[in-house]
Amino acid sequence: MPDNSAGNNAMENSVMKNFIGSRAMPDLVYHSPKEISDLLSMVDAHGTSARVVAGCTDFIPSVRTGRWCFDQELNLIDISKMPVLNQIEKTDDVLKIGASVSLTRILESPEIKEGCPVLAQAVAQMASLQVRNTATMGGNICMASPAADTVPPLLVSDAWVIIQDAQGEHKVLLTDFFKGPGRSVLTSGQVLTHICIPVKKANEAAWFQKIGTRTAVIISVVSAAVRVTISNGVCDTARIALGSVAPTPVRVAEAEQFLEGKPLDDQVIAECARMAAQAISPISDLRSSKEYRKDVARTLVKRSILACREALK
Amino acid sequence: MKMPLTFMLNNQQTTLEIDARQTLLEVLRNQGGMTSVHRSCEEGECGACTVLLNDEPVNACLVLAASVQGASVLTSEGLVKNGKPHPLMKAFTDELGIQCGFCTPGMLMNAYALINRAGDNLLTDQVIRKTLEGNLCRCTGYVNIIKSVHTAQKAKLAGEWW
Repeated sequence: MPDNSAGNNAMENSVMKNFIGSRAMPDLVYHSPKEISDLLSMVDAHGTSARVVAGCTDFIPSVRTGRWCFDQELNLIDISKMPVLNQIEKTDDVLKIGASVSLTRILESPEIKEGCPVLAQAVAQMASLQVRNTATMGGNICMASPAADTVPPLLVSDAWVIIQDAQGEHKVLLTDFFKGPGRSVLTSGQVLTHICIPVKKANEAAWFQKIGTRTAVIISVVSAAVRVTISNGVCDTARIALGSVAPTPVRVAEAEQFLEGKPLDDQVIAECARMAAQAISPISDLRSSKEYRKDVARTLVKRSILACREALK
Repeated sequence: MKMPLTFMLNNQQTTLEIDARQTLLEVLRNQGGMTSVHRSCEEGECGACTVLLNDEPVNACLVLAASVQGASVLTSEGLVKNGKPHPLMKAFTDELGIQCGFCTPGMLMNAYALINRAGDNLLTDQVIRKTLEGNLCRCTGYVNIIKSVHTAQKAKLAGEWW
């Protein structure tokens, strides 16, 4: 190894100190708490200089490409080594998933396959094996990306998250969690610790579909999730959620209400899908145009309801 | 922040002095001398830096080195035994699953974990394709790469494996 210590010292005193190799990265202090109490006292003590991470698959590219800039040292609090946040628990009614459970474990979990198969269906289409082995659902939610693929299935499943801080535990419905691209209700001193999902019932079906420019390692152009419950041949409850069509993943209430109380025949489904596409106003960006997104949203909603109808036959 | 990092690197207990900002990719290449771990996109798109972390394939560019304290990391250097290439490597050369070679170490590590996971179940083309979807080959040699994985699995089932 060549000795670079003199060069490193000179660099640390200059503006280059936030660069390592050719990429930007603020100075880091790495923390790896084991217990919830340690975690909460760390986020409290470090305030705005604290960043909670788990898989780091979004954190590292965000910092290194300069999308996130920090002018101070960061206290990086890694929750991926916390046994208490690494569990999937299932009771009769609720699935409780720790924030640092990896996507691979979600995909392979028999509890989730049984209790919320639509989530496993979405995770199977995310990223690559290598990324799924480290990335977490807690991270996917906290990044608050409009294109987060775990979010539409969670929204249609009426999921909520548990946020902890020095004051205790708070339950927040996922529909109330997002505030904009990259923004959520989480404030300094708070940590999202669990995701809770009501388990699937016998008379219900759910489906997820996404469209991207390839099938792996791709950010969705549009994603859609649908969940319906049926009794006596008519739709009881309908949930329709779309990703990548608004500043946050959204539910389309008008289309949901239209579907409720009606039989799932082709005409009703087509009209519901049209209403869902009408309710959204996506933007044009490097991945797609707004017109294409509206068109694809309509098709995905239609296909998803048809798939649910098929599953309930 | 400078910190010591102790972990199993290719089955040897290793302690390196790292910067908390470094990724596993940088530490493996710069301090660890494992230059088979290729640096390319550095955002998890290409899989050229794939290594096994506790036997599971991960992108080394997306792992903070500080987080592998106490863990085990295997790179394709670790597959070589007494200077002899691993049967998986031999399968890749025999079936011409290697062209320019840039994606190969990542392909090898992902395929190695896949074949070990599969046990006695014969792998299908579909499973291999799905598993390797996070490893890009720009020589477009995928057909031969899939052949190589089949051949390697046969070698494993014939008992030539470590």
